[in-house]
Parts: sequence; structure tokens; C-alpha cells
Amino acid sequence: MEREVARPVPPWARILNKVRQRLRPKNATETRIRRRQAMIGLLTRRLPWLRLALFCVGYIWMIIIPSPQLGRGTYIDENALQPGQWALNCGQVNTYWSWGDVHTADKYLAQLEVLRDTNATSDQRAQFVMKEFHRLGISASTQSYMFSARSGRREGTNAYGILSSPRTSGTEAMVISASWLSRTGEGDGTLNLRGVSTVLALAGFLKGYSLWAKDIVFVISDGYMDGMHAWLAAYHGSSQSNLEADRLELSSGVIWTALNIDYPGHSFSHLGIFFEGLNGRLPNQDLLNSFQRISRYTGGVPVILYDHLDPRENPGHSDLPSWLPPSIRGQREVQTYAYQAKNVARHFMYQARGQSSGVHGLFHRYRIDTFTLFALPATGPHGFHAIGRIVESTLRTTNNLLERLHASFFFYIMTGPDRFLKIGSYLPSAILVSVAMMFGGLRVWVDAGWKVQSGSEKPLAGSSTNTTPLKWSKRQRPVLDVLCIMAFTHILGALLFSLISTSWYIEHQTMASPLLFMLLAILPSIALVFPPNADPHASGSRSSVLKALNLCIASTVISIISVLNFSLAALLAMLLGVPLSISSAKGPIHIRGLKYAGYTLLGLGWLLFAKEQARQAIWNWQILSVWFAPFACIVYVPLVLQAGLVCLLPPDS
Amino acid sequence: MQAGWKAKFLLGLSLCLSALGSPIGEQFDEQLTLKSLRDGKVLSRFSFTTLLKGASPRNPQTLGSDDISQHYTIFPLALGQILREYAITEMHLTLNAGNWNYDRWGYPEEAGVGTGAELWAWMGDGPSDTVDDRWKGLRNALAGLFCASLGSLDEQRTTAPVRSFEPEGNLPDWGPPHQIRHASLASEHVCTENLTPFLKLLPCKSLSGIASLLNPHRLFDADWHGMGVHVLWREGEGVEVRLAFQSISDPVRYSLGRKQDWDFRTLFDRTIDRKCPVAQSSHVVVALPTSAEFDISPEPTSNAAGLATFDVATLNKPLDVGLRWRFDFQYPLDFDSPTSSLSVQRTLRGSSQARGQLSLVLKNHRNTSLHVVYLETMPWLVQFYLHTLQIYINGSRNDDAMSDMTYMPSIPHARPATFQCVLAVPPGGALHLTMDVAKSFLRYTEHPPDAQRGWDLPPAILTPFDPTSNRSANDPIGGRIYTPALLVDLATPDFSMPYNVIIFTCSLVAFIFGSVFNLLTRKFVVVHIEPTKDKKE
Repeated sequence: MEREVARPVPPWARILNKVRQRLRPKNATETRIRRRQAMIGLLTRRLPWLRLALFCVGYIWMIIIPSPQLGRGTYIDENALQPGQWALNCGQVNTYWSWGDVHTADKYLAQLEVLRDTNATSDQRAQFVMKEFHRLGISASTQSYMFSARSGRREGTNAYGILSSPRTSGTEAMVISASWLSRTGEGDGTLNLRGVSTVLALAGFLKGYSLWAKDIVFVISDGYMDGMHAWLAAYHGSSQSNLEADRLELSSGVIWTALNIDYPGHSFSHLGIFFEGLNGRLPNQDLLNSFQRISRYTGGVPVILYDHLDPRENPGHSDLPSWLPPSIRGQREVQTYAYQAKNVARHFMYQARGQSSGVHGLFHRYRIDTFTLFALPATGPHGFHAIGRIVESTLRTTNNLLERLHASFFFYIMTGPDRFLKIGSYLPSAILVSVAMMFGGLRVWVDAGWKVQSGSEKPLAGSSTNTTPLKWSKRQRPVLDVLCIMAFTHILGALLFSLISTSWYIEHQTMASPLLFMLLAILPSIALVFPPNADPHASGSRSSVLKALNLCIASTVISIISVLNFSLAALLAMLLGVPLSISSAKGPIHIRGLKYAGYTLLGLGWLLFAKEQARQAIWNWQILSVWFAPFACIVYVPLVLQAGLVCLLPPDS
Repeated sequence: MQAGWKAKFLLGLSLCLSALGSPIGEQFDEQLTLKSLRDGKVLSRFSFTTLLKGASPRNPQTLGSDDISQHYTIFPLALGQILREYAITEMHLTLNAGNWNYDRWGYPEEAGVGTGAELWAWMGDGPSDTVDDRWKGLRNALAGLFCASLGSLDEQRTTAPVRSFEPEGNLPDWGPPHQIRHASLASEHVCTENLTPFLKLLPCKSLSGIASLLNPHRLFDADWHGMGVHVLWREGEGVEVRLAFQSISDPVRYSLGRKQDWDFRTLFDRTIDRKCPVAQSSHVVVALPTSAEFDISPEPTSNAAGLATFDVATLNKPLDVGLRWRFDFQYPLDFDSPTSSLSVQRTLRGSSQARGQLSLVLKNHRNTSLHVVYLETMPWLVQFYLHTLQIYINGSRNDDAMSDMTYMPSIPHARPATFQCVLAVPPGGALHLTMDVAKSFLRYTEHPPDAQRGWDLPPAILTPFDPTSNRSANDPIGGRIYTPALLVDLATPDFSMPYNVIIFTCSLVAFIFGSVFNLLTRKFVVVHIEPTKDKKE
């Protein structure tokens, strides 16, 4: 003992002792509780700042999604794909598609142009395609269909052929398809003649090889989306009340991958990838990456996203607004950002509305990975020769698959043809906003349940903080009233949805839209019939409870949607995040009325200003089961109306 | 004893005579049939028949005692040993790749054309070993002999469908009735490792005779190919082993879409250079086209009823039979119209991983009504909802078209379902049968390594028969028809990220356990804390 005292204590031991004392003081429990209280107190006091920070980080994150620093280069995860591998092994580009096949495609094109010029009916076109398949020795058939949507009927005839692969059981299949209408202008009537002739020429060409391990199904679908939708529904035996389609005479196995060819122009300079499917579903990214590599290295055709030319490779082309000073416009970083932002914005536009960017989008619901290969119309230099080789090589790649594409490559944002964002690099942005909203909601919820007592009144029994200067008393929250109000707004939303899906609305849209807008704007004020809150100490105001629940529900909705359809979640975070958080019942009545009008406009403005989009969304719901329209009416509109009601309801006195 | 003496005598006799030429007691015949099909393809069917004269299958009653010794000259010993070890009366093993297209190619000459591996055997019942034990031994022995995964034709795939698989030969009357065992494996890939043991069973291997045309490089490039081993007993004749190989080649593909001409060189890349010395007969039979103008070379030995026959023994070697057309080939407009009396389409619809619908469409192309025995041997992965079975005749509901239904439900992890019924298809009409099915949820250890591929379901088998004839299914019209196999997607975990899943689950379990443990062991006390100055709330 003495020897130890005599010895000088080394400095490290002293520090250790101090740390030990700090960590394990005598009254450890009390310190811990004190520390916890201090922490909670700190958090509660700084909550507005925390929320602000979360909002800022979330929104800034969304803005920097297109930044070149955030993404990474694409790579191929599935080893079985081996894109262009056999070309690499041979040391040269080894595809068999030749100029003879290009000539065949040209001949088909000439015949199709005759059909176009003679205004051939759907049925005549389908019969022609079927006969051509038969001439090649491929089993083929046609399928007639008719959609009867509220907005009118659509009918047509698809033609398809099935090339049974040799020596296989025919349980797996891949599809090459071309729709009669090109995706140019979302099916505005541009014909996809060269796409159709490519498919026909490929059918004859591919039949000459015995290496196919999967059946190849060639589909020439009528119309733009409708034909393929009818064909896929019949193939998978899914029924739809407004669709009458023939049963398919021929069948093949389970379809794993598909390629949709869209070649509207005379020649093309780039191949564009369109990949967004219905309801925000995306194909496995391996497929896009393989195609991108094959096109670049085997076909020698540059790949772009959508029809966006890269300004860095095409100097005459710029995405930046002209008012920016040339010193900024000239910078490569800025150009990259602008280009990638354009791509991401296009992606958001398709995905958020649940809309498909082409015919390929219909396949995703059946677990088929597909994209549209869009030949960007230009004066050159590529034509049938390049597209044939690329499709041949891509088919050989997908032919290599031993299993479905399944590696976790279904969540991504493509910022460029060879750059993408992983789920971890974009998902937190929407989640942070939703967390900020949840915090706000919880805060309002707590405030609605407690009231600071004025000094003269006695504190409530059981309160342990009776010596603090501020006295809090618990009060009732009018949850039931508020739930009734919320249910009422959601029922209103459902009513709105059922009204706008009627044929009456579609026929009289210009007249009905303002009417509906007025109706929906006025009806929620029925909520004001509840007698105003008599005693603010006995119960909290409906307005604040409504705000609390509204924020919590909106936050939950955003979090859930973010894994289903990130773009929609981001859109909701932008539309709901700040507006729902700043709703309050404070201020004179006319200001509150103005606020309510603002919320109504935010929630229902689309009735007045986006009539065409509304029609499109309703058609998408009725024919293609895209849930964007019902979601907007039954979830989004009520949430915004609730925020409006928060302003309108009598405030906390 | 008597049989043993007989065999020894035969052996001695054959040993004496084998030097002189073809042995007595064993007879080997080989034949190649070639036929040009309507869609330009060529069907070739090799048939090698070995007859063990006067022999009979082993009686399972004698399984406990020593067997007679086996001495064969031509008869394949490796196969003979298996047959006697397990006392198999009749056995059929087929290993096929591809879908036989009945509509285009008509009925095959060998009826067993189901995709993948199929094995069925008739066995007498015996006192010592049960039929199922011997069945297990048989499939394992054959798996070893033919390098095929027949070992996986286990209880989960074995059924006993008597009506669709009548014996081709005769069954000896040993007292207890014979039993059948049948199993098929659609996912078996047939390739050259199965052909090599097949060739080893032939007396001349692939060195001479017709068997020398069996060139794996060309056979496995065909559009369809299948090999079969058939063992049967014919009363009064003996035990017959027929080794058969069928293939559908596409000369139009080889000639880049121009001509359908073929000869041995284009089809097999070989010619017959020598005859097989032990073959009793060795013939190449070519079915001559009826419509088009053609040249055949060399001059056939005989030409009758549209069949040109070439005797390999007498013709000049090397023999290269070929058929040449005067004009280029074009697909006739009716190349896809059915040649068979019945077209079948069987699909599994629905994209959900829990439910689906089995759909069968039968089209009768004859002008008399057709009765068909419909057999489904479904692994337990897919379970039938029989109450949802609906039958439509030409689009209108008619459940009376089905009769004689037998159903043995599946037992999960143990036994497949056997569903058998007779369907009547009106003349020129179509029958549409639908039935809802449930897809099983598997244990995670039951998934195969390529879990995301799905599971192959065996083909259904349809046997048309004439109900007016007393012998019913014994007299099938055209034989068994195999539908294409199906692929079913079951709910599959994402095996590509097992570590993520393990980490997440373990964290969750640790978190829950920790919290609960903490609450259980914690001592709750009341602590009085003096409020501090900076505290506001």
C-alpha cells in the first residue's frame, strides 16, 4: 500500500481514474436520470431547429441527386449474362447479322409502307404479319381485342409468332416486340414501321441458329399500349372487365426478358433506353447495363437515356438556360449536372405518375424485365445493320440466363446511360423529410394534450414537477371528432374519384371541373359545424389535433411510398413537407380563409390546370390499373384539404 | 435348375457358333428410318433390337435365391444384370430433349417423347423385396448406367398410372398381379454423356453398321432428339431389348433456308463404312415424298409402297443415302395445320406466386368424337383445387364431357398427385378444361441452387382410345400424346443476399431479446431528484 502511494502516479492512470469517476460516479442512477432529462429537454427545445435541419438536408439531398459526385458507374452483377463475351473471346465483333438480312428488312419495310399507304385495317396488317411468319416456317397467329373505357373504345389486332427453340422444353421464353405506333409523342400516331420490319427480319434470321435455349416470341402489337396490354393479359390469363380479347391459340413458356424495338425514323444516331414501367416499377438494371455495353462495344452505337443527347459529346447541344453567363455554362461540372438533372427529371416525371415510358412498361407487372430500345431519329449514320447486330447480341446475352434476373438491382436512378444511384444514395432524402414531418406531428400532438397553467391555479395531482415555475396540466384531445373530420375528407376524395371516372365527367370536362373544384372546396367546411371548444384547459383544440394526425399520416405515407415508388414519394415530400408543417389556425379569419384557399388550390388545382393529365391518369387507371389517379384523389387531396381545415377550424385560445 | 442348365447349354452353343457368324439364341437387328416432314425437317429413327430367344424375365418369387448365371454375346450384360437383379418384367426409359410437335410432325414412331427423363416399369410382386424397393434399386442402377439424374425420380415423383401405360409386351402369370411404377423428370438435360453409355450397349458400338451414324456432334444439334431403352417380354419369343434413337434434323437450317436436301453427310456428318458383322438384318428405310419431284441415291435395294429400302450388308460402302429435290424449299401454307387427330395446349396461367390456373385445350380434328384418357402426375409443389374444375365444349360449359375420374391427392414432401379422367371431345370441336391450383410455399432448404428459375412440372399424358372397342386403352389411336412441360414460379426468397437477411434478423432478435431481458432483470426503484436551475420542462 505504502509503496504504491510512494510511487508517482503515472499520467495515464490519472486520466483513467478521472474517466472512471466520470463514468461511474457515486450516485450513478440519479446522474443517469438527470442526464436523460437534460437530453430530452435539449431535444425538445431544439426541435424546431432539428426539423428545419432535417427539411434542409432532405431537400438539398433531392437537389444534389443529379450531381456527378453522388452516382457511380454501372456494372453487371449477374455473371450468367456475359454480354458480348463471345465477341471478346474471338477478339473481334462476331455477330452473324449481315447485309443480306438488312436487305430482307428493307423488303419488309417496302411491303409495310404499301400497307400504310393503302390505309390497311388492323386486321389486314395482322394477317400480313402472320403470313410472313408462316412463310418463314414460324408458328404464328393473331389476336383481336377491344377495350371499352369510359372515354371510348379501342380495338385492334395483334400478330405474334413463336419460334420454338430446338432441344429445349420450351418452358422459358423471351419476347421481341414492336408496337405499330411508335412511342414518339407517347403514341401520337407516328408509325414504327422500321421497328416492325426489324422484328420480321430478325425472325427469319434467328431461326437459322440452333443455339437458342429459350423460345423466342415475336409480337407485333397493334396501337401503342393497348395492343400489348391485351396480348400480355391473354398470355397470362388475367381478366379485366373492360377488355374483350381472344384467347391465344399458341403458347410458350414463362417469359423472363423482353425487348421492345422502337425505330420510327429513317436512320438513327443514338439508341435511347426507356425503362420506367407502370406503377413505378423498374426492370432489373443488369439488362440495361448489358445492352449499354453491347451497343457501345459490339454495335458501335452510342447509348443515351431517353432521347436526351449528352451535351458533352454533342457540343452544339446544351441543356443549360441561355441567360447563364458563358463562364458557368462552359464548365464541365455544370454541364454534367444539367444533363443528369434532365435525365432525373424525366425519370421522376414518368415514375411519379406511375406512367410507363413505353410499351415495355406493361411487362413489369408480370415479372418480365424489359426496356424499350429507341432509335433516335437522325440523318445517320446507323440503320438496320447496327440495330440488328445489337438486338442479336442482346438476345444472346439474355439467352445465357439460367435463372430470372434476381440480384437486387431493381432500385436505382439512372443519371446517365452508364451512371446510376444506388438505393442508399437517394432514398434517405425523402425519408428525412418524412422524419421531419413526423417530429412536427408528434410535437403538435404533445402540445395539444398539455396546457401551461396560469400561476394561480392548482397543479394537477400526481405531477412530479410541482416546484417548477411553469405548471403543465393534462387535457383531453378531441381525437374522435378529428378522426371523423379526416374520414370525411377521405370519403370526399373517394367521391371525387368516382365522379371523375364517370363518362359524364370525361364528356363535360371543361364544365365539370370548376364545378367539382367548387364543390370540393366548400364541402370540407362542414367540419366547422362542430361547436367551438368551450374550455381550452379541459380539452385541446381540434385544429391542433388535426394537424398532428395529418402530419403523422402524411409522413407515414411518404415513408411507405418511398420504397414502392421513390419519385412519387419525393413529389409528395415536396408538395406536402413544408405546406403541411406550416398550416396553423393562428391569425385573423380572413388570413385563415386565404390560407384555406391556398391549400385548396394545392390539392385540387389539377382539376383546373391539368385537365389533359387528369384524363390520361384516369385512362391509365381504367385500362392499365395505374394507381396514381385513385391515390391522388383518395390520399393526396384529403391530406391537403385537412391541412386547409387546420387553418379554418377555430384555433387554440 | 432347368433354366440354369438351359442357359449353360445356350452359352456353350453360342460360344461354339459365335466364331461362325451370328449366334443362335441371340438375334440383333438394326434399322434406320428416315422421313422428310412437311416443314422441311427430317425425322430419323434408329432402332437396334436384340432378342434373347426363349428367355423369360426373372420371377420375383426367386429373388431370395441365387439367380442363373448370365452369359450373353450380343445382349447387353450391364442391362441384363440390372433387369435380373430387380426382377423387371418390362421397362421403358426415355431421355428426350425438346418438345415433340405433334401438329407438325405427326405421331412419333416411338411413343415416349415426353421432355426430359421418363422411366416406367412393370414388375411382379414378390415375397422378399417389395415393388417399391426394387423400383428404387432400378432407378439408381439405371442412373449409374446412363449417367442421368434418375436417382431423383424418388417417391415425390413416382406414380402408378395403369391406364395410360399398358405393357407393350406380355406379362407372365406368376400369381400376384404385376404392378407399374412411373416417374418423369422434365428438367433432365440430355446430352452426350447419356449417349456414350447408350452406344456401349450396342454389339458394334458406334464403330460399324448403322450405329456408326450416331455422331454426337450432329445429333445434339438437331431440333429434337431422344433416346430410349425398351425391355419387354414376348410370349413364345423371348426377352427383347430395343435401343432407339430418334431425332428431328433441319436440313433447311444447314442450307441457309434454301433446300431441304439431305444425305448422311449433311445429317450425321458420317457415312456407313462397314457393316456390323453380328447384325441379322441391317436396313435403311426412306419414306419417299409423295408430292414433289426428287432424286434418291444410291439405287435402293427395294422400293415398295412409298418406302425405299437399302440393305446395308449388300450395298457398296461407304454408303451415303441422300434425297434431293428438284426445287428450292418453301414452307407450304398448311405446314402448320395439324397432322394429328388431336391438338393439345396446356398452360399454367396467372402471374401470382400463390395461385394459378391450369388450362388444357384439346382440339379434335377428326369428324368422329374422340375419347381421351387425361393423366396428370403433378408433384406436390402444385396442388389442385378439384372443385374449381370446369370444362367448356366450344365455349359453353359442359361438365359431362368428363367421366371416370380418379384422383389421388398429393402429400406435401412425400407423394405427387395423380389425376386421371376420360374426356370426350366432340367431332371438330374444342374442349377447354380449367382448374385452379395452389402453389406451395417451400422450406428454404428445399429450393434448388438455381432457385429463381422455377420448378419444372412433368408433361401431362393424353391417350386417345376408341370406347366402342372392348380393349379400350389397349388399342390407342396413335399412342400416348405428351404435352410440353411447364415451369412454375413458387415464392422464392432472395438467396442472393443471405448475409443481409441474416444480419437483419439477428439484429432484430438480439434487440428484442436484449430489451426483454433488460426489463425482466431490472430492479425498479423510486429516485428523488432535486430539480436543477436550468430545467424548464
